[in-house]
Amino acid sequence: MTQVAHPSEQTQARESTSGWLVVFSQEMRDLWLGGRGLVLSFAFSLLVGIIAYLVATNTDLNFLEQRESTSLTLQVAIAVGGLLTLLVAADAVSGERERGTLETLLLTPVSRREIAAGKLLAALSLWFAAFVITVPYVWFLGHGVGIVDEALVAGLAVGTLVAVFLASLGLVVSCFAASNRVSLSLSLFVLLAFLAPTQLPAGAQQAWAGDLLLRVNPLTAGERYVSKIVVNGHGWTEDISWLLSPVIGALVLATAAVLVSGRYIRLRGGVSG
Amino acid sequence: MSAAVEARGIAKRYGSLVAVEDLSFAVESGEVLGVLGPNGAGKTTAIRVLTTILQPTHGEFNVAGIPHTRPAEIRRRVGVLPESAGYPERQTGEEYLQFHARLFGHSRLSARSVARTLLDEMGLGERRQSLISTYSRGMRQRLGIARALVNDPQVVFLDEPTLGLDPAGQRQILANVRSIASERGAAVLLCSHLLAEVEENCSRVMILNRGHVVAEGTVAEIVRQAAAPRSARLQVAGEHAERAVAALAGTAGVDRVERSDGHAGWLKVDFSAATEVGDAQLSVAVRKLLDAGVELRSFELEGARLSDAFLAMTEAA
Repeated sequence: MTQVAHPSEQTQARESTSGWLVVFSQEMRDLWLGGRGLVLSFAFSLLVGIIAYLVATNTDLNFLEQRESTSLTLQVAIAVGGLLTLLVAADAVSGERERGTLETLLLTPVSRREIAAGKLLAALSLWFAAFVITVPYVWFLGHGVGIVDEALVAGLAVGTLVAVFLASLGLVVSCFAASNRVSLSLSLFVLLAFLAPTQLPAGAQQAWAGDLLLRVNPLTAGERYVSKIVVNGHGWTEDISWLLSPVIGALVLATAAVLVSGRYIRLRGGVSG
Repeated sequence: MSAAVEARGIAKRYGSLVAVEDLSFAVESGEVLGVLGPNGAGKTTAIRVLTTILQPTHGEFNVAGIPHTRPAEIRRRVGVLPESAGYPERQTGEEYLQFHARLFGHSRLSARSVARTLLDEMGLGERRQSLISTYSRGMRQRLGIARALVNDPQVVFLDEPTLGLDPAGQRQILANVRSIASERGAAVLLCSHLLAEVEENCSRVMILNRGHVVAEGTVAEIVRQAAAPRSARLQVAGEHAERAVAALAGTAGVDRVERSDGHAGWLKVDFSAATEVGDAQLSVAVRKLLDAGVELRSFELEGARLSDAFLAMTEAA
């Protein structure tokens, strides 16, 4: 039987690739070459395409001014792109557990935090794909009023923050969930809870409590910021306070995801033991 | 030379549930230690503790000279085939091994080379580009063993490697297990329900029951420790049966002699469980028969196998 070089003798065969990068590369292969990412992106492009078409042509919806149409399309892209990252992240640990592949991953010298980081970044790739898909629609709807650049920059910034927030949330839930079904259901429920304030009547949104609710919620605050830039033509710093909760939310949850994963990426879900 | 695995008083408890208690043992390099136990005995928990997947509640251990307080370094030196390992269905065997080799620090080129070498060794070379979803159970087990070897481990833990395999598949896996110990010089801990395979392939055996070690040693030592009742089936010429019964009845170490109903010339002899004379008991009995002029046609010793010792120890505990 031929022997593989002993770990201590492998220095020449090694490269300085970090464990998280190896996990990230493999996750990207599984996501994109495995087809799941392509299917989700295709569904996303269909949805954004339909919405862009409707806001541009439908007699009931095209009362919207072009700036509003661009903003609406961008907001849908951010919300749905975030949803995709959430779905993939929510499967990251609980899915491996159910498929029986987590144990072999934990048996490698790569730390649990590196595993979490690699999976989190791979999930975020779906948002960037979604953003690329959204670009032509934003250009189509916004080029006539000269807001394409602002819309794209604001969309990319806010969308990335929202995606980091939601992917981290999905990963945390996935670490604790006893099953993959629980993880996905709980993640979706939490996302719906975050989107609920958008259904408040306009009057309630303008009252102080409604305003506070919109500001502390990273999803609604981010979308409000995009709207201020794209629809109202405000400057980047004019409404920067609306970016506070998306930034804090993304930082806090990403940190929590990495910290939690060190302890709770385990063979069994739950908080005990 | 220090042992490849050395455990001292390991315990793993989940609240009031004791999974493993006071587990102490040592395994040398190149040795195959069979770990036996009924379902729920704590075998898998013990492996998970020793491979740093679970933290012990109590006790300490060294693996390849590395103390348990340095888990990442231990993981660099061990290879594990978990009992219920899953496989990514959409990866090929080669991609799967390459990925794991890279997690152990191999460069892309080196990982590919390691993957191909191991797939060839495990007889999977021709299927290296096939999706794992198309592999049979035996092929998956061999792929799992190959994965456990990507880091050229000093200690290999195999949890039920032959579970669900046909006899040919079992034989192939066991040949791989023996070569891991003999050619690589790695210490192997083989957990199995199949007592015959442990008896044939392991230099030493440890029996766990309800989280405790109930016996440890070579197969012969364990059989002696268990003092399992032993018996023999003898076939003599039909007309010599009465004479044989009379000759054996007064023999030291023989508890009882019976003629088998409907089988002329067949006798069942029960030996005393308390004695430690082993095979000598049978020799004395055979000599008595020959001295009495009985024509002995065949004999078969029963109740001296690991399975009897296993049942005696796990049922008694």
